[in-house]
Amino acid sequence: MVTSIIRRLFQALFVVLAMTVIVFIGVSVIGNPVDILINPDANQVERARVIAHYGLDEPLWKQYFIFLRGLAQGDFGDSFVYGRPALGLILERLPATLELAIAALGIAIVVGLPLGLYAGLYPSRISSRTIMTGSILGFSLPTFWVGLMLIMIFSVELGWLPTNGRGPTLEFLGGQWSFLTSDGLRHLLLPALNLALFKTSLILRLTRAGVQEVLPQDYIKFARAKGLRERRVIAVHVLKNLMIPVVTIVGLEFGSLIAFSVVTESIFAWPGMGKLIIDSINLLDRPVIVAYLMIMVLLFVVLNFVIDICYTILDPRVRLDSKA
Amino acid sequence: MSTNILKRAALLLFASIVMPTVTLAQETPLVIGMSTTPTTLDPHEDSSAVQSATSRHIWDSLINLTATSGSAPELATEWTTIDPTHWEFKLRQGVKFHDGSDFDADDVVASLFRARDKPSQGFASYTRNIANVTAKDPHTVVIETKVPDPLLLNSISRIRIISADCKDAPVQEFDSGKCAVGTGAYSFVSYSPGSNLTLKRNDSYFPGASHWSDVTLRFLPDDGARLASLLSNEIDIIEALPADGMSRVQSSSSLQVISGQSSRLVYIGLDVGRDVSPFVKAADGSDLDKNPLKDLKVRRAMLMSINRPAIVDRVMQKNGTVADQFVAKGYAGHSDQVENVGYDPKAAKELLAEAGYPEGFSLTLHGPSGRYVKDAEVLQAVGQMFTRIGIKSRVEVMPWSMYSEEYSKGTYSTYLGSWGVNTGETTNPAVALVATRDEAKGTGRYNGGGVSDPKIDEALAKASSTLDEAQRVPLLQELSTQTFNNLWLLPMHYENVVLGAKKTVTYTPRGDKYTLAYEVKPAN
Repeated sequence: MVTSIIRRLFQALFVVLAMTVIVFIGVSVIGNPVDILINPDANQVERARVIAHYGLDEPLWKQYFIFLRGLAQGDFGDSFVYGRPALGLILERLPATLELAIAALGIAIVVGLPLGLYAGLYPSRISSRTIMTGSILGFSLPTFWVGLMLIMIFSVELGWLPTNGRGPTLEFLGGQWSFLTSDGLRHLLLPALNLALFKTSLILRLTRAGVQEVLPQDYIKFARAKGLRERRVIAVHVLKNLMIPVVTIVGLEFGSLIAFSVVTESIFAWPGMGKLIIDSINLLDRPVIVAYLMIMVLLFVVLNFVIDICYTILDPRVRLDSKA
Repeated sequence: MSTNILKRAALLLFASIVMPTVTLAQETPLVIGMSTTPTTLDPHEDSSAVQSATSRHIWDSLINLTATSGSAPELATEWTTIDPTHWEFKLRQGVKFHDGSDFDADDVVASLFRARDKPSQGFASYTRNIANVTAKDPHTVVIETKVPDPLLLNSISRIRIISADCKDAPVQEFDSGKCAVGTGAYSFVSYSPGSNLTLKRNDSYFPGASHWSDVTLRFLPDDGARLASLLSNEIDIIEALPADGMSRVQSSSSLQVISGQSSRLVYIGLDVGRDVSPFVKAADGSDLDKNPLKDLKVRRAMLMSINRPAIVDRVMQKNGTVADQFVAKGYAGHSDQVENVGYDPKAAKELLAEAGYPEGFSLTLHGPSGRYVKDAEVLQAVGQMFTRIGIKSRVEVMPWSMYSEEYSKGTYSTYLGSWGVNTGETTNPAVALVATRDEAKGTGRYNGGGVSDPKIDEALAKASSTLDEAQRVPLLQELSTQTFNNLWLLPMHYENVVLGAKKTVTYTPRGDKYTLAYEVKPAN
């Protein structure tokens, strides 16, 4: 277990280092952030002063080593645009993204899993076919369109829910959360639904496929022959065995919900990390881009590790230390 | 404690999802949907339009920048020039900051120095001439400039006056509200970065308290989100009403479109400097031994081929006004001597033949996408119109982050450019766009076409050091006349400021595109 953790941390370290190099080179190839940041009225002398302030007058390799030196002291650098530490900027937006991702994933699991189970157990019923057809819509309709439709229907036409924004927040565990207030929840509902739609369809189809694969297996027949009640057969023998692929997908999708929910965040003006990173890319705000990607690499490493631990719980044959 | 909070959350989830928000009758809230997001509340970090507009709600300046870029008294009540490099300002007495402390000369000195010396250099172009600021007495400030500076009033109208107690505060303390304390029309309530800023009326504001008791600035850069908020009645007024939503707003019984002309000029820059231009070829694609863009007749033919009224009308969906020079009538430096060039493709073709290009030639038009109103679409239209008179045009657009450096350094032969004339007079665009490029003097920074006209340089040098308005205005006009009778730039249009609003409010758009809650008035 311990060796496995250490090995993973080393892998993560290498990925993070490689990524910082790529970002440094990539951003410097696109253009000069100073051209975007500076007031167009500034003259050449003033421009040179700004370039020097951001350290952009040094050769790229030197900028990179200055960055590494800061990193060793836990300093990701100050954002060019916001003028304050990049890491703090990202962590400030983390609660917004996190609560949106958890809400969306929660909806996806609560809706997707039972429906998938139902569709797998009774594949020939009309209701099952309706569910499956509906799920096709769920993952083929583009998020931005569904988001706009949700806004048009529930906010503009019916006026039930707010169109966008995050609503009031309360402080909890050092962050600002909106799920703690009723108005905040009303703001959360539409973007969470929008994000959940695709994930629901995915989990639904995955569960159904799993059920159909597991049902004809010998141990199911044996369990039934043993005279176990149908509920126990489904809950223990069927569900537990189809969970491994579902857990993998849920874990990875959770990561992508956090890292790449930018479309939904834009449409619903949700002040999360996705919006921050897109703005930063457009403004070539290198410290924020680097810090964000590093956090994302760490996030995915941790998520994969959690998924692996879930495997061992679900399937005692899986060992963490075994070389896979 | 945490279980309590979770319990409460679970209860609220179902109890109140569809509960409407209640507004008390005597409150007069105003919600503004802004189209860009400020990065910080620190008023001296960056001088971009959105930063200036946001900070304007909390803080004041010595001079008030009016809707047409004029200078009016604000925290300074009167001013005189002692000699060409010394200005004396009398400060308004009895003004208090939101926290109750008195405003005096120390605050002015601290703020001007802070804006000048901040390492981000966001205000460098406004503070470059400030040599020293001294408090003569608690209500008199003397500003010493390095050279005679006719634009000093305009420059200091940009600089917000903060409390001297906050002069060393980092950006974070402004964002947290600790230093977000000004003398302005509204006081700080809360700030959620990237989302909204909420403000409360300052009842003792010296020009008179605002009509609005609570103001919320919501940052909604996404067009769809902004429009939806207006349509669902959540927001009273939105900036940059998307063209696609215009008809929907117009047909609504409770909403209106408000539009006005901005001071942002969009133009086509031409390579008039090089003898052979990299993206200009002969009609058959072979290299040319000379640069046709250097010929005034060719430039004139190009402008004649562009149907500008059609472009602002259809491509820009009326979000623009046809331009002939740097600034519109009413701004300092508008010249009546500039000859208007109308749309006439037939005459354009003849003129092109007369200049020695009966077969035309070919060129690549470069431009940004998503930077100016319908920029890529405008460029496509121009390309087609050029092609119609025999100038085969290919259009290439790219993101602003890639484009900005290249066009200003003169990589392209023909390019789409734009300039927000934020001083409201012509030296501001002229020094950047058509003055001869000179690193040491800081002129011609965005002169991507290599314009070098001694008459312009001379008028500019004189205008930049003349304090007397009567002598200065003819020089400003000369800049317009020289630039646009020689067609060093092809003028396209001024972008319009288009807002969508409820019919319960009225607003007169400003040339600088700011949307200020204080200037929003209730209808009737």
